[in-house]
Amino acid sequence: MHITDFLRGSPDGIDVKGPGVLCSFDIAGVTINLTETVVISWGIILAVTLLLAWLTHDLKTKDISKRQVVAEWIVTTVYGLVEDSMGKRWRWFAPYIGALFTFSITGSLVSMIGLRSVTADFNAPLAWALVTFVFIHGTNIKTHGLGGYLKGYIDPVPVMLPINVLSEVSTPVSMSLRHFGNVVSGMVITSLLYFALSVVTKSIGVAFLTIGVPAVLSLYFDLFSGFMQAFVFIMLTMAYISNADGRQEA
Amino acid sequence: MNLDFLTIDVGTILFTLINTFIIFLVFKHLLFKRVDDILEKRRQEVTTTYQEADTALASAKADQEKYTAALAGAKEEAAQIRTRAEQRARQQSDNILEDARREAQAAREKAMQDTEREKEQARTELKGEISDLALELAQRIMEKEINKEDHERLIGDFLQEIDTAGEGGKA
Repeated sequence: MHITDFLRGSPDGIDVKGPGVLCSFDIAGVTINLTETVVISWGIILAVTLLLAWLTHDLKTKDISKRQVVAEWIVTTVYGLVEDSMGKRWRWFAPYIGALFTFSITGSLVSMIGLRSVTADFNAPLAWALVTFVFIHGTNIKTHGLGGYLKGYIDPVPVMLPINVLSEVSTPVSMSLRHFGNVVSGMVITSLLYFALSVVTKSIGVAFLTIGVPAVLSLYFDLFSGFMQAFVFIMLTMAYISNADGRQEA
Repeated sequence: MNLDFLTIDVGTILFTLINTFIIFLVFKHLLFKRVDDILEKRRQEVTTTYQEADTALASAKADQEKYTAALAGAKEEAAQIRTRAEQRARQQSDNILEDARREAQAAREKAMQDTEREKEQARTELKGEISDLALELAQRIMEKEINKEDHERLIGDFLQEIDTAGEGGKA
């Protein structure tokens, strides 16, 4: 392939695919696909479990190890974040926030070891956004009662009903699409860059650009973006649920 | 085979929910519960340590007060002993002085009694001598006129008179 191919647009150049399907089976007429995303998630679960088991085995009250310092730092930081955003009543929510953040960031970062990002599959952030959605509405009903909750849709005037419904539905959609879009755009840009660099390498015959340049960009698109999106996702989750809770603590 | 780039796949969503739940459980039990437990345990240990320190401090203070009290008691006792010793010394000196005074008094009284007795004795002797002297004088003056018995009676009367006069004079 020559540089002219790239400029003209290569017929076999860039093809950004969805997650691969390893196998699929039908349950009650619904096709269940076992995709790359799910299998990589299992790997993440395994790795996280081993990591946490290693971090928290043999905890002591004094003369603590560096492992324990890290473990305690994680726990107290997440507790602090949850209590600051949602109040002390939501302290029990901290493990979910920690799990979500970890799943999200590792799901994005697996691209650094050559795997397909879990979060580059729209279904993963969509599933998390659905959990948030359920929590938002569950909390809302719990706080205001079913009547108060339903009344919220015709507030301040009944004419607002469609807009309010749309607003509620758009919350998980915007959350999941934001996360998916950021990660996947990084993936697309990285693919484009690799393609461009390979074309340049072929045209000048020296493969120096493919080393280094992608690494620098990867710092932004994988590390920074992955971290930012995970953080934004948990902050939004806490903010929405806390907002639905309504009983703001002083 | 690949899914479309942007597709909603029920299977993936379900699996992701399950996976998220599993990671949540892992976080809850492997990380949060364990760390919570150890933090609680440490908090209790700290509380216990503080309580022990407080107890030790209180006991030290009690000891200090006890020793201070004992020291004060000892001082008081010393003062008492000194006071008692002073009193005893004063008592003794008073007694000695009193004895001395009494002895002096007794000596003076005895001396006065002695003097009185000697005076009496002297007076008695003088009386005898005077009577003898008068008798002898009277014998010499009127040798043959008056017998001895009359003379002695006369002189006795005379001396009686003198004596009475003397006692009257003395009184």
